[in-house]
Amino acid sequence: MTKTRRLSALLVAGLVCLGSAAGTDKAGLAKKQSSLISEYSLAKDSNFYFVLDVLGRKLELRVRGMVLRSWPFQSMRFWGRPEFSGDVELIQKTALKAPKRIVIKPGGEPEKAEPAPAPPANPAEFDLDALEVKDMPKKFSLDFDNGLHIVIKSKKAASAGFLGALREIWGWYVDLPLRNLFGPHTGAGLSELELTFDNEKDGQSIYWHFFEGIKGIVL
Amino acid sequence: MFVKRILIAAAALSYLGFLAVLGAAYFIGLKQASAWPPAGSGKAIDDKDLPKVEKNIQQLEKRLSGLLPKGLYIVIDTAENRLYVKNGKEVVRTAVVSCGSGVVLEEPGGKQRKWVFDTPRGEFSVKSKITNPYWVKPDWAFIEEGESIPKGLEDRIEAGTLGDYALGFGQGYFIHGTLYTRLLGRNVTHGCVRVGDDDLKAIFKSVPIGAKIYIY
Repeated sequence: MTKTRRLSALLVAGLVCLGSAAGTDKAGLAKKQSSLISEYSLAKDSNFYFVLDVLGRKLELRVRGMVLRSWPFQSMRFWGRPEFSGDVELIQKTALKAPKRIVIKPGGEPEKAEPAPAPPANPAEFDLDALEVKDMPKKFSLDFDNGLHIVIKSKKAASAGFLGALREIWGWYVDLPLRNLFGPHTGAGLSELELTFDNEKDGQSIYWHFFEGIKGIVL
Repeated sequence: MFVKRILIAAAALSYLGFLAVLGAAYFIGLKQASAWPPAGSGKAIDDKDLPKVEKNIQQLEKRLSGLLPKGLYIVIDTAENRLYVKNGKEVVRTAVVSCGSGVVLEEPGGKQRKWVFDTPRGEFSVKSKITNPYWVKPDWAFIEEGESIPKGLEDRIEAGTLGDYALGFGQGYFIHGTLYTRLLGRNVTHGCVRVGDDDLKAIFKSVPIGAKIYIY
């Protein structure tokens, strides 16, 4: 159903675009100009920012106009109000199991003396008292100041058993359309974008690098 | 029997009602999606303005690339524990490093100070370059070990821990060597960036004071 909807939306968009090739070029130039203006205003500062290229299917972390990390996404789907492009700021990062820092309190109750297990041969397998990228969630959501809600997940996390799949089908095909119809009383409507990444480490590193307050551009 | 029929009819009506509402929701969703790309985005330009816009784009691209640091600079990925020495867009050297563990240390007793062992993120610059650096152990190093904090400076100085070279980038943070080379690639430090001997030597020799450091 979604495929049909997406195809028809793309067809309509395509027809509109094909209507005037010259007009498209001009519109493309205008869009490029406005995105460059936005990026330049962000790149002038030393802060990190991101660029989400929805059509180009990639999310990039940048500073001073330089790409630090690029995460291409395998697929995406969308529900709701399509006016989500432009300058945005990340308001909230939400995960079901948000990572927690390890707190050390010296002088606390001594731990029971247990024989220490033999250390693994590969240093990458050491169980360290540390918060690492592998401890980051593989599925989480990002809420932006313009109302855009982005769900980030990996292909592997997407197929989390029969119940998980059922919950996801209900959430996407029933709950979201109904929430879009009845939910928002503010008149703003919802904008839900779901990005699926091939590599599960991509989602984890996005969670690591994206902090609340980071600014960015959605193209 | 009659009640049963009524119930079945009510259930069927509810189901049909639900389907109708869901259909309406899909209709609205499709209508919204067909308005994409939004009408306001990328307004067409007048023919007479076209050269001006093209020139403006070229200028913006030039200005944007002008923001890149001049000469060699360092980029550190704290998630992957990688350090890159770059010149413009070219990567000159890649090194496996160790960044902050993210652990929180809480001081027991009176003062109850707290330290978060993160490698700071942002734009920095190389502020100092030191050969054969000594580590002046801060308070947390003693608290972490459950030792009492010494009063004299000489009791805080430790040689050999930081390797042969150190590059300071402010607030007591350094890019330095390590004795724990097996842990390179893992997040284990108290905020500094640990580098292996060969890489550290090459970085120290090539990167000048004032060079930019981007840690993300």
